[in-house]
Amino acid sequence: MNSVLSKPLEVRAMLPLEKHLALQQHVFFEARLLDDENYNDWLGLMDEAIRYRMPMTERRFRKDRSTPLAFGGGYIFDENKLRLKMRVDRLLSGLVWAEDPRNKVRRVIGNVEIWQGAEANEAEVYSVVSIHRSRIDGEEKHFVAGRRDVWRETAQGWRLVVRDLLLDTSVVLDSNMNTLF
Amino acid sequence: MINIDGLIDQETGAQRRLIYADQAIYEQELERIFGRCWLFLAHESQVPNPGDFFRTYMGEDEVVVVRQDDRSIKVFLNTCTHRGNRLTRADRGNTRAFSCNYHGWAFGIDGSLATVPLESEVYFNEIDKNQFRLVPVEQVDSYHGLIFGCFDKDAPSLADYLGDMRWYLDVALDAMPGGTELLGATQKVVIHSNWKLSVENVCGDGYHLGWSHGGALKATQSGDFSGFTVGNSSVDLEGGMSVAGLNGNSVLATLDGVSGYAFYPNPTLALKYLNENRAKAVARLGKFRGEKLWGSQLNLTVFPSLQFLPGLNWFRVYHPKGPGKIEMWTWAIAEKAMPDELKQQILDNELLTFGPAGLFDNDDGDNLSACTVQSRGWRTRQMPVYTNMALGRSGKRVGLPGDIASGVVSEHNQRYFYRRWQEHMQAKDWSEVPQYNLNSLEANDEQRAVQTA
Repeated sequence: MNSVLSKPLEVRAMLPLEKHLALQQHVFFEARLLDDENYNDWLGLMDEAIRYRMPMTERRFRKDRSTPLAFGGGYIFDENKLRLKMRVDRLLSGLVWAEDPRNKVRRVIGNVEIWQGAEANEAEVYSVVSIHRSRIDGEEKHFVAGRRDVWRETAQGWRLVVRDLLLDTSVVLDSNMNTLF
Repeated sequence: MINIDGLIDQETGAQRRLIYADQAIYEQELERIFGRCWLFLAHESQVPNPGDFFRTYMGEDEVVVVRQDDRSIKVFLNTCTHRGNRLTRADRGNTRAFSCNYHGWAFGIDGSLATVPLESEVYFNEIDKNQFRLVPVEQVDSYHGLIFGCFDKDAPSLADYLGDMRWYLDVALDAMPGGTELLGATQKVVIHSNWKLSVENVCGDGYHLGWSHGGALKATQSGDFSGFTVGNSSVDLEGGMSVAGLNGNSVLATLDGVSGYAFYPNPTLALKYLNENRAKAVARLGKFRGEKLWGSQLNLTVFPSLQFLPGLNWFRVYHPKGPGKIEMWTWAIAEKAMPDELKQQILDNELLTFGPAGLFDNDDGDNLSACTVQSRGWRTRQMPVYTNMALGRSGKRVGLPGDIASGVVSEHNQRYFYRRWQEHMQAKDWSEVPQYNLNSLEANDEQRAVQTA
């Protein structure tokens, strides 16, 4: 799975320590905004040009010889700011019955690597997100995904420009994904 | 065998909740429904080249669909004939042979046993390789690109099985030259629902749309041309119809020729395509289907477990995994004649609305799971549930096959779905399964005249 997210080992610059820590803190803060359902504040951290993507996963042989699909495999998420807003609007509509009573959701962000990005004001951040959702009675659901982010530093603070996600299952094991990664 | 007689009551539209929870009933479904009916396996577009294979299920039986060198399709149980290991573990691919991971037996794409390691040394060349060919599915056929398989050699032909449903299916599958194709990888989601609840939610239940999907409607609806309103505050019974009485197959349809695209953030491209090709569709399908159905929101259900919705453009099959669990497999479907830009938009929109993180689909799963779980309770499962809306308010419409009720908010189609379920579950083989295509076009000259006018 890592082939899409990882690049071969190369010598790469780190951010100055203070900036590094500030961005790491920001990534954890972002997760807490989602845990707390502060969706509009979260949306505010998304750059106007945000690309937020999670491709469909298939199980294929390592030496697969078949013709690639004409329009690609498709995405579980392939969102721009408008579509993220649509998701947020739905979640905040008060009409998503599956989220009322509230399902407790906790994100653990781990394996955070922060590197200097392609532009001077950008950083590339690799991480793993583990999402735990506590639902009715004893029901607990779990998603694990790899993430590759591009964050851009602006006058207003760090803004997310790219988030590439890879879900680790080829079959989605929860009846809904009313959640953001 | 379980006595099915009292479980479905056509007079009152009631179902016993036992049918969503009972293991013995489920086992009987595997035999009498999934072991007997024609089941959707794959679209021709998913296995275009010789050696292309696609792994799927018929009930709980795992099968592999393989394109042959002569371009025909063969379907085998995905299991080694030696010790029963799973053969291919990839979702799809292209191969010249299927090798078993266990002892290395290798089978050709035609199912023949090609290689047995150490054949002379340990089998002394005495093994009859013909006896160990892969086990083929008894009947395989396709309809406008949709490949179906059937385990029952006594089943009617696929054409007869689909019956007059073909008249409606053709709106989705044959409106334009070149037919259809499926887009994207298989979107697989596990839902802890009985398979019948998932089917009925789509085959006839327009009632839930405004309520269950209120949040999604509010967020996505680009136009008010669908006749659905947020919160079920109003309904338009004249703008649609529920069609059943076609051997368990059914259709929900709006009749405006455009509302399939009502849930696109920007339907401009789709509406342009419909506009530019309307005359062609009318020429191929006739006036009613070309003008009123093509482009409308259609929910098409082929009994027992295939459903697709032209317009919203999702195409789905349900694989049962016990009485309380399914795997739901979804793709986007498009007409081949559509421009690439529109196909891409269809795939994107399908994933946005009915994919694993689909804005609409994410509302259904919890409802269906809860209906299933509730039916496990000892006291609860003794209770009936009802599809009794608009009972007795259906009939014939000149020029249209089937028994038809007004509007897409009705429980007419669900009643026919459960009737068909009961007929299959009671019948010991196909000779006892009644065949009916109500108000058939072929049987009625007056209807045919209207159709060709």
